[in-house]
Amino acid sequence: MSGSAVSLYLDPQIRDWVLFPITLVMILVGILRHYVVLLLQSPPKKQPMAAIREHGKLPLPPSYYNAVSQHLADAFKNGSYLKGGPGKGDTPAAPPNPLTDPAAMDGMMAGMKTQMVMMVPQMIIMGWINFFFQGFVLIKLPFPLTLGFKAMLQRGIETPDMDVRWVSSLSWYFLNFFGLNGLYRLILGNDNSADSSRDMSTPFAAAAAAPQLGQAQDFSKLFKAEIDNLEFSKGLHSWVADDVETRILKKYGRAT
Amino acid sequence: MASTTPDQAAQLLFPPNVQYNATRLSTIKFLSACYAGAAAGILGLENFIGFGLFIGSTLFMGGCLWLKCKGKPAKYVHGGVVEMINPGQENLFSFLLAWTLFYAIVHVYD
Repeated sequence: MSGSAVSLYLDPQIRDWVLFPITLVMILVGILRHYVVLLLQSPPKKQPMAAIREHGKLPLPPSYYNAVSQHLADAFKNGSYLKGGPGKGDTPAAPPNPLTDPAAMDGMMAGMKTQMVMMVPQMIIMGWINFFFQGFVLIKLPFPLTLGFKAMLQRGIETPDMDVRWVSSLSWYFLNFFGLNGLYRLILGNDNSADSSRDMSTPFAAAAAAPQLGQAQDFSKLFKAEIDNLEFSKGLHSWVADDVETRILKKYGRAT
Repeated sequence: MASTTPDQAAQLLFPPNVQYNATRLSTIKFLSACYAGAAAGILGLENFIGFGLFIGSTLFMGGCLWLKCKGKPAKYVHGGVVEMINPGQENLFSFLLAWTLFYAIVHVYD
């Protein structure tokens, strides 16, 4: 306990030129990372008519609506639009293996690429700190740690007897790395890409999402439910152009 | 019609409000962790007394939120009282960061 009574005297310039700059740089790099990811995602293009029609947003007169829904119901029974032919009752088709199905593979690769991109700035900053801010004591931790941490947190300082609480700049980097996530959530909103806790959880999430069994069968159940909904809603068709004639006449002041 | 299953209980909640509450709650937790860290650092608290301040501030925050929820946190927060009080690993690290920073500024550097 005698070591803790003696206090090291640190140059205030270390505080000005190391402590604050490291924190500032990490905050700014986090914000930069968030905006880079945002910019890399391509903006939504103005959709062609066919895509809008697919989403059902075009105004559809009642006669067309009934014809189309009837046609879709028949098509499901015939399996004319389904990839594997008409549904085979309850036998589950083998779900596409994510590693071999090219469509799912693209999605996974895109996710992994973003993760790689987001880890690179952290590696760069760690290298920068190790290069420039090495070999001196930066800060005293207010809480005690075990001797095992000495090797990691006092790297570059060759004093076997010094209290573990006097640490180098790399440990300040680690403190910032973990502690700034809340700040990012405050500044950038909940869905930000600067969060370091997301980086560590995604390999597990990707591995957990890979075995998704029974997905093919769920689709046929979904389609059956949709067919039923279509039949129920035949009488409920409401159309944006329902009394468009009256509205146009009113707009031009000729309604009677 | 008591909602016993979690699904039924979740169906009674209105998603935009739940999300708004969750966002406000996480903001409050983060800010209280930061202020507690600043206070602990400026006061020069060490070791367990510092963590004691963190726990104390968390309980105080929980008490204020409990009053704000009019005594029924389950109506406002998805997980009830435990979710309301639990600061989470993220805010613990924010507390550590703020505590170390202010301790260093005030007590280590002259």
